[in-house]
Amino acid sequence: MSLLSIEGVTQRFGGLTAVDSVSCAIAPGTISAIIGPNGAGKTTLFNLISGFQKPVAGRIVFDGHDITGMAPHRIAARGLVRTFQLVQLFPDLTAAQNVEAGCHLRGSGGLWAALARTASARRELADAAATARELLAFVGLQARADLPATALTYGQQRLLEVARALAAAPRLLLLDEPAAGLNALETDHLARTLDAIVARGVTVLLIEHDMSLVMRVASRIVVLDFGRRIAEGTPEEVQRDPAVLEAYLGGVDLAAGGGSAHA
Amino acid sequence: MPETTFLIQTLVSGVGTGFIYGLIGIGFCVIYNASGIVNFAQGVFVMLGGMITHALLTRAGLPLPLAALVAVVAVALIGVVIERAVVRPLWRRNATMFVMILATLAAQIVIERLTLLAAGDQPKTLPGFSDAAPLRIGGIAIGVQLLWIAGVSLLLVGALALFFARTRTGRAMRACAINREAAALMGIPVARMLGFSFALSAGLGAVAGILITPTQYTAFNVGVPFAISGFIAAILGGFGSALGAFAGGIMLGVAQALAIVLFGAGFKNVAALSILLLFLLARPAGLFGKAH
Amino acid sequence: MTSPATTSPPSGRARLAPALLWAAGAALVAYAFVAGGYLVTVLGFAALYAIFVTGLNFFMGYTGQVSFGQNAFAAIGGYTSAVLTTAYNWPVFAAMPLGIGAAALLALAIGYPTLRLRGHYLAMATLALGMIVQEIAVQWDRVTMGYTGIAAIPPLGAFGRELPNERAQLAALLAALALAVWVASRLKHSRLGHALAAIAGSEDAARALGIDVARYKLIAFVVAAVYAAFAGSMFAHFVGFVSPEVFGLHMVVLGFTMLYVGGIGTVYGPLVGALIISLLPETFRGFKEFQDLAYGAALIVILIYAPKGLASLARLWTRRGAAPDAAAAATAGTSRGDAGAAR
Ligand SMILES: Nc1ncnc2c1ncn2[C@@H]1O[C@H](COP(=O)(O)OP(=O)(O)OP(=O)(O)O)[C@@H](O)[C@H]1O
Ligand SMILES: [Mg+2]
Repeated sequence: MSLLSIEGVTQRFGGLTAVDSVSCAIAPGTISAIIGPNGAGKTTLFNLISGFQKPVAGRIVFDGHDITGMAPHRIAARGLVRTFQLVQLFPDLTAAQNVEAGCHLRGSGGLWAALARTASARRELADAAATARELLAFVGLQARADLPATALTYGQQRLLEVARALAAAPRLLLLDEPAAGLNALETDHLARTLDAIVARGVTVLLIEHDMSLVMRVASRIVVLDFGRRIAEGTPEEVQRDPAVLEAYLGGVDLAAGGGSAHA
Repeated sequence: MPETTFLIQTLVSGVGTGFIYGLIGIGFCVIYNASGIVNFAQGVFVMLGGMITHALLTRAGLPLPLAALVAVVAVALIGVVIERAVVRPLWRRNATMFVMILATLAAQIVIERLTLLAAGDQPKTLPGFSDAAPLRIGGIAIGVQLLWIAGVSLLLVGALALFFARTRTGRAMRACAINREAAALMGIPVARMLGFSFALSAGLGAVAGILITPTQYTAFNVGVPFAISGFIAAILGGFGSALGAFAGGIMLGVAQALAIVLFGAGFKNVAALSILLLFLLARPAGLFGKAH
Repeated sequence: MTSPATTSPPSGRARLAPALLWAAGAALVAYAFVAGGYLVTVLGFAALYAIFVTGLNFFMGYTGQVSFGQNAFAAIGGYTSAVLTTAYNWPVFAAMPLGIGAAALLALAIGYPTLRLRGHYLAMATLALGMIVQEIAVQWDRVTMGYTGIAAIPPLGAFGRELPNERAQLAALLAALALAVWVASRLKHSRLGHALAAIAGSEDAARALGIDVARYKLIAFVVAAVYAAFAGSMFAHFVGFVSPEVFGLHMVVLGFTMLYVGGIGTVYGPLVGALIISLLPETFRGFKEFQDLAYGAALIVILIYAPKGLASLARLWTRRGAAPDAAAAATAGTSRGDAGAAR
């Protein structure tokens, strides 16, 4: 039984078919990866899954429900949360406040609860603050909690975005190039964090160019090229696939973990 | 059929006002293309065109053609002053769109109030450019000022088209519109183009203000409604296309004239603004524009 | 800022400046109550505008959205109060809620489609909204008396009794202001307030985190309209007169000037800005033309030289004394309106 299944999804921009009837399925409790050269349509596929764009054809089913074309915030409320290729933090808030704002889906209070500051509204706020502390510690940013988000290093900002996404209590987390811009140490830390996220019961689907990271954490890999799915399988299978080697144009030996084909 | 005549008469005057909106709309586009800025002080140029001409006419005793010419040049200079004093410092700093709008809106208020201090709050008007009897076609009377408006507007639009197609400066401005970074790399002085676009746009606004004043009136506070109408014209035309803005202006003028027939003259701005709101909601990219 | 736990304690110097401000404000109000007269009127205006600007701040500072048409809602509040209390002899405390309710409904009806617009379009649409309402106030003269305006509006009061003098009116205005600021502060420090801050920071990220961006923008717009209508209605009863001129575009520019002077996105910024701008003596009364001229020019200068508001200059001063983290967080907080409103 798959948590997410993508069935023949297509997206076009003018004459360009950015995603070309792609199908795949994500099993719960796993880490899967989407790889492919620049412009292959990976981010576009994320946009389609998370509701930021509507596919021109195809179906996206999350946890048994058809979510095709649903508004992003509704999809998030169902437990499918994404991050962005270009980090999208709330720049004027501190790290902790970023995560607190991410706790939106954990609460329910609206205008009246805020005005009356009901007991449950107070509890929600306190819970959000506690969740923020816990998640910042989880990604290793506890010491940065009260810094403005913009004062963090790039790697820390990426981790903060992950922590904030976790605050939305996802069941499936989509990460768009979480390791971009990270140094080797940070990437290693990220890999361990990803395993810990799965251990919390969250399924992970990530787009990544860093092959050594992908090979290390992902149990299944989908390879896109020019919008088409050209391969899918375990890391070993994908590494041996001639179509994949062709797509990467002999540039790098995937097995060697040269992740810089697209740097 | 008196009703048909009345309708046609209304449409004709609507087209006349539409030319004016079109000129103002082109003014918006000229600056927007050169800089990506929407100048919310565009209305002051229209207001100043009429007011300065009036002052030169009544206070300095200049003949109307000379007064009009001097006014257009003066307003173009004022456009450059706004650009230098308000817009360029913000533009250099890459200020947000919101800050730019707010600053040009503040400039609008400042100039409005200065005009109020200098000229008082009484509405003023200008004599018609020539006092021949209105042209009569069937039962429809076409005022001579309307012919002036049509003639000068069309002439200006033609001249602008030539300017953008043939002259170095015009081509440079078009290059800026297509891609400012690339234009800068090609050695086009982008900042100077910004100043020039303000001068041109201010001059166009002034001409519009001078043309329209004999048919209605001008006062220190007529700017904003004209600016909004011009903005609507530009939007109808897809924002950025000068010809589109001109066509959009004519459409708006006609729609407004029809609204006056239906609801009365008092609500003509309400009608224009409602058209703006409705239109923005239905087709934010303009009639002729593609979705961004 | 968001919760006590996330704010580093301010240093002595950083705490001193606001304390001084509060003390000065309190002394001024106390003096006004003793001395009466002109200063009471000035402070009354400051309180009215502080309410208006608090609403503006809610939409712009907290939520990062643009509206140049808040005068429309002030006009609706003011005119509803004026017409109902003069032509129909309604009591003040029946007319006022009706005006506020009408403004809220209009905000709902206009905001629902309009807030989808972005950038220049939203700016122009809201500017147009202000113009439309002003134009209707001019043209619908059977009800609004056109350009002449409506005079002899009864002062604030309840249960058939009017407040006896200007000082009592000022007390009522200050109570209203306190309520307005209290509400703003409550809303800011809540789940709702967090959602608004998220929208100001990044609409896409907010959406991805499950925040219904359109809905929350609409809520913020309606709240801001309620503030504007409340201020407009209080204005009608405090001054006793409304006209289309009163609710013109200059009201919006003045509001923005106050917001920039006081500090965008902060709870008390509108208070500080409204007080400072209202107090600048030569800009008040007498030379109304000079007044708007001065505000407009001041706003341009601030936008060019202190884009995050005058408050950011004050923070530069306190930064030397404060812990670096706290100061950085404080300055970052003020930039929200500027950065967010651009979207
Ligand atoms: N909104 C859009 N409008 C038009 N074209 C688009 C749009 N978004 C993406 N594209 C195009 O679609 C193709 C796929 O882009 P996408 O961003 O999905 O690639 P990607 O696989 O994420 O690449 P990268 O590794 O560089 O992030 C590209 O050719 C891109 O230029
Ligand atoms: Mg991508």
